[in-house]
Amino acid sequence: MADKNYYTIDPEGKLTCMKCRCALEKGKAKFLYLDNGFPVELPVCPQCGFVYVPEELALGKVLSVEKALEDK
Amino acid sequence: MKIEERASTHVYRQKRMFTKEELEARERLCVHEQPPYCNAACPLKLDVKTMTAAIAGGDFDKALGLYEKITPFPHLLSAGCEAPCEGKCKLCSLGEGIAIRELERAAIAYGSRTRSRSLLRKKNTKIGIFGGDLFTLFLAGELAKKRYPVSLFCSQTDGDALAASCAPDFSEAVRTATARTLSNLDIEVFWNTDPSQAYRQHSCQFDLTAAAFSVARQLFPEIVPDEAVMVSREHHLITGPTQGVLGAAFGAKKAALSADRLAQHLDPSNTRGEEGSVETRLYTDLEGVLPSLRIAVSGPDSAKAEALRCIQCQCDVCIRGCAYLRHYQTFPRLLTREIYNNVSIIMGDHMMNKPINACSLCGQCSVLCPNGYDMGEICHIARQNMVTTGKMPLAPHEFALMDMLFSNEEAFLCRPQPGHQQCRYVFFPGCQAAAIAPATVRAAYLDLCRRLEGGIALILGCCGAICDWAGRYELYDQTAAFLDNALAQLGNPKIIAGCPTCKKELSSHPGLEIAGIWEILEQIGLPEKAHPPARPVALHDACGARGDPRTQRSIRTLAQKLGCHVVDTPYSGDQSPCCGYGGLTQYTNREVAKKMTEACLERSDLPYLSYCMACRDRFAREGRESMHLLELVYGTSADHCPDISAKRFNRLRLKQELLKEYWHEEVDTVQLGFTIRYAPGAEALMDERMILKSDVIAVLQHLRSTGEAIADADTGLCITRARLGNVTFWVKYQETEDGYLVFSAYSHRMNVVNRQ
Repeated sequence: MADKNYYTIDPEGKLTCMKCRCALEKGKAKFLYLDNGFPVELPVCPQCGFVYVPEELALGKVLSVEKALEDK
Repeated sequence: MKIEERASTHVYRQKRMFTKEELEARERLCVHEQPPYCNAACPLKLDVKTMTAAIAGGDFDKALGLYEKITPFPHLLSAGCEAPCEGKCKLCSLGEGIAIRELERAAIAYGSRTRSRSLLRKKNTKIGIFGGDLFTLFLAGELAKKRYPVSLFCSQTDGDALAASCAPDFSEAVRTATARTLSNLDIEVFWNTDPSQAYRQHSCQFDLTAAAFSVARQLFPEIVPDEAVMVSREHHLITGPTQGVLGAAFGAKKAALSADRLAQHLDPSNTRGEEGSVETRLYTDLEGVLPSLRIAVSGPDSAKAEALRCIQCQCDVCIRGCAYLRHYQTFPRLLTREIYNNVSIIMGDHMMNKPINACSLCGQCSVLCPNGYDMGEICHIARQNMVTTGKMPLAPHEFALMDMLFSNEEAFLCRPQPGHQQCRYVFFPGCQAAAIAPATVRAAYLDLCRRLEGGIALILGCCGAICDWAGRYELYDQTAAFLDNALAQLGNPKIIAGCPTCKKELSSHPGLEIAGIWEILEQIGLPEKAHPPARPVALHDACGARGDPRTQRSIRTLAQKLGCHVVDTPYSGDQSPCCGYGGLTQYTNREVAKKMTEACLERSDLPYLSYCMACRDRFAREGRESMHLLELVYGTSADHCPDISAKRFNRLRLKQELLKEYWHEEVDTVQLGFTIRYAPGAEALMDERMILKSDVIAVLQHLRSTGEAIADADTGLCITRARLGNVTFWVKYQETEDGYLVFSAYSHRMNVVNRQ
């Protein structure tokens, strides 16, 4: 079965993990809120697993989903 | 004390806010939808108010359309109607009421009839009407409008003769118009017939029969029809006595409805709805309405002028006073029902959460409403209900609740006056006073210590209003117990509140004596530094002082003693609106809160004098010169619009300084070991996004302990994050020689994790 993702961001080599000194890659992550989960693909450090949530995503899609869930 | 996020959106609990009876009892208090007095008085249900508005707007066609809805013979009705509506016009109590009948005639004279073909299919039930009088004429018209096949048997020779016999006192024009209207209706008329004889011969051909009452008496001398439905069940005949034009028209309306029921083989009394004139409970505020006299209607312009005198009666006193109700374009009854339904939803979207959390709970509506409708109480009950069922999201209230915990934990201070074990008084300035005007709090405390005897303790903390407003009743009980304990340790002294909301909240604690600092100052007089403002000021009453005439009086006395030139504004005293802070509106809905503040400031162009620090702060943020009474009393100035971090810093520093200076207690302050500076605009952005400097510090401390951060090649900035409680905070920064330069910060409540 195909892997379902609600959102995908490819870092395109522009982001570097300062701890591991390596480039972030498009990786699998999951947003969790109020007992709900949403699989996504975000920039992830292949070594330490740091998941980056960009400002536009946090204040855009993430915020609107948060508000929608809060009113459930 | 702990604040917990709701566990899941998949918890399907429900608790009803009210019983059905209680809900209906509350809804009944709202008279916004009650009919205006004129409409209520009309037995034919003419929408006088809309008709008058149409004429006032020059739309005579619409006015005529409304009038034609109630009668098939507008000329006849307008000529002979006794107009019970005119006597009920609210303007009668001031001068002369609206000349409604003249306006009806104007609608007929200047409006064009719209000849639309009826979309109704012709009905099968044949109805025979016997006799030609006012009642049968109106009845024939009503039944023809309902698309019944109608046959009218009358002794008159033609339409003119019928109109003349029905309306002998009316003008030729009215009679001609009535005859013309009759000829245009789909009615088969048998002229020159004896109605009684016709009944005997032809009644069997009809499914239903109706008769003029005089004809019915000839046919059945003992007939006693049920006048409520205009039917003689015994003789299967629609008939009944009527009086006058309006009586005949109303009788015909009732009879036509009975025909509908009989055609469906139902009892004519069945499901008739509300008929005739009704009593209305409408309230119309006549304040500002000037008495006026009738304008003689002689043409379209004078009709328009007369209609423009109509004040379009409606009850909107609460809406006019409340920015919240105006924002949602609603009125209490409807809003209550929507909130009730919202709370009753087990699964799905709760569309009314935002309005429930946007009310300031100030209670202004309960004072303005003639029936005391309290929308704030309903929103408060709804919030508590949502907390009980686990449906209340934490997000709208979390910042305020955390701020309250900060006030009652890190920034909390409770000490007896140095040199006293137990104190006669305790000064409780309130969290917002310490956050916005720490210098004023300090001056007030020292002044009280200097001029009152018996020892003055000090409590810096929150009264619990925040969690009360959030509907977190368990947290409120914990806060109340915490404060009661602190007060007990001081020997339960008399509380001197610095904030009217604190006074109100703490008054609910049993066994506590409480007064506002303004009442104490009224007794002991003003200190030396007291000075009046240079200009006259508009006094804004705090919503926390609603229903507290003693406080309102005391404030005015004190302002007078200060030498203030105080100008009372509209909606002052008990009617005062909330500044936008109350009920946590400032946190839950900034747009509504801003509208509330603007509505407060619309009342006067003068500088605003208030006695609640939250009001003072919000007015200043809107750019108005704003002062708290205690600033004038003590010659101190509040901080100018401190941001959320400064408000915390002020509370903490006040506590630390007072502890050091008056109780000689050293407070350990944590040294960060690095410096944080903010790029231009970063602090304002953080304030806008409700991100504290302490959050940024915690994120950077997390960075230093873990080294977790990324570098963005596009911007040249580093980005790090930490999960603090229910929120993930992100900070964009550059490293400096001794620490960090912060460019931006943002946050989200969703937790993000890796997955395989």
